[in-house]
Amino acid sequence: MSSYWFGDVTDKEGRCSIPAAGDKELLIARLNAIRAKPGPFDPFTWHIAVRCGAVRDRTEYIARLREICITDAERRIREIYTQKDAELLPMVRMLDEMDSVVNVLSERAAEWHQVRNPTFSRKYRKTPAHILVRTMREKSRGALGRVAGRIEDLAAARTDLAKEVSARANEVMPNTSALIGGLVAARLLSQAGGLRELSRLPASGIQVLGAKTALFAHLLTHSPSPKHGIIFQHRRVHNAGKLVRGRVARVLAGKLAIAAKIDYYRGEMDPVFLENAQKHIDTAGGESASALDR
Amino acid sequence: MLWIGDVLVSRGEGGVYHERMLDGNRVWDPYRSKLSALYYAGKGVEITGGTIVLYLGAANGTTVSHVADYAECVYAVEFAPRPMQDLLEVARRRMNIVPVMADAASPEQYAPLVEQVDLVYQDVAQPDQAAIAIRNSMFLKGGGHLILMLKTRSVDVRKEPAEVFSETLETLRCSGLQVIESTWLVPYHNDHAAIVCIKPGSAESS
Repeated sequence: MSSYWFGDVTDKEGRCSIPAAGDKELLIARLNAIRAKPGPFDPFTWHIAVRCGAVRDRTEYIARLREICITDAERRIREIYTQKDAELLPMVRMLDEMDSVVNVLSERAAEWHQVRNPTFSRKYRKTPAHILVRTMREKSRGALGRVAGRIEDLAAARTDLAKEVSARANEVMPNTSALIGGLVAARLLSQAGGLRELSRLPASGIQVLGAKTALFAHLLTHSPSPKHGIIFQHRRVHNAGKLVRGRVARVLAGKLAIAAKIDYYRGEMDPVFLENAQKHIDTAGGESASALDR
Repeated sequence: MLWIGDVLVSRGEGGVYHERMLDGNRVWDPYRSKLSALYYAGKGVEITGGTIVLYLGAANGTTVSHVADYAECVYAVEFAPRPMQDLLEVARRRMNIVPVMADAASPEQYAPLVEQVDLVYQDVAQPDQAAIAIRNSMFLKGGGHLILMLKTRSVDVRKEPAEVFSETLETLRCSGLQVIESTWLVPYHNDHAAIVCIKPGSAESS
């Protein structure tokens, strides 16, 4: 028997049954059933559907099939977008973009401010950028003052978004977030392209996520392989001594690969795993450091 | 194909992606579409009002909309939800596009939906592009064509594009397809090659 979207052809003579004749919902259900359990495939043409009595002609054949396919695709999209990690992805990407935009705008505003104040310099001062922007908003007349105000608003929106990203990451990927922090976990997810994709990466892949340039330079020439990508942002990697940093990154990435799999397949915190993992990562940075010194 | 002077166009409802219009026809830009680039290279397969097309890697439906202007019917396969949203919008306005949300690497998932076709057009960013093409050639009628847009960089970044190209040609030949044309798509697209194959046999026997 060969199953097609419109019906089943049951024997060599082309006898067929059309169990879901005409009903859109039944046809979609039928389609998903066939997809879940694909059988042997026989190439077919639309003429079979006409012979079976499922449709009258070519026009009706295409119209029916289109209707089913469009509805089915709409539903699948909706289903994918309701998954917990769907919104996290654009959120992180927006956050990273806002980071760089706020920086660029602050720099531009500072240049402008310097022109208006010939004696002003940021050398030997520890004024953080956001304080400078606030001063500009308060002290500058006209457009610069207004622009500075908008930069402040943008920075505030960024801070709110960062909190939301972190909270969402804790919820969607509790184990990964516990190991490396919500924000960095969310960035890993965004680089991988989703939680499913992250959970399928090998540890070595997670270790260099976000180090694309260095990785491709390594693959194409003989430059050394990158030791870490995004996970460098985690304190245990960037605080580790130079000699053990690669090791810490590797061990951390190993544990992250497991954490991501727990997050994807189980979706809840695993305290026993986390405790062991933390211990392992600490050991990689601590004891081994002294071992190397010897 | 429809040319106005040396500009490739297609006849259909415009405004899909702010494409330019020429005498009421939609300009098909070779820099935006690889299939258009192939026609500009003087190669490719004529698509007519009787052609049924299976289009793998339909993405946002930009090229699909032009193909649909020429073809009788286009089965447009796309996996990712975001481009699919756009493709659906195009499909709602063009009655001869059947959007299929599925992975081109698993044709058995959409086999019960797709009838035999005259042309398989494939433009996917996957490492195993030749294998995907071969698997999908089961939908081809005898004498039907396969156009593979080979993204050499997706196959293996470490290999030279030329090497990937010749390996792919070899794989296709071994599968029983007959390669009739192949070309690089410079200057329109870098590191992209187009390969045109024909499935042996006659339309009647299959």
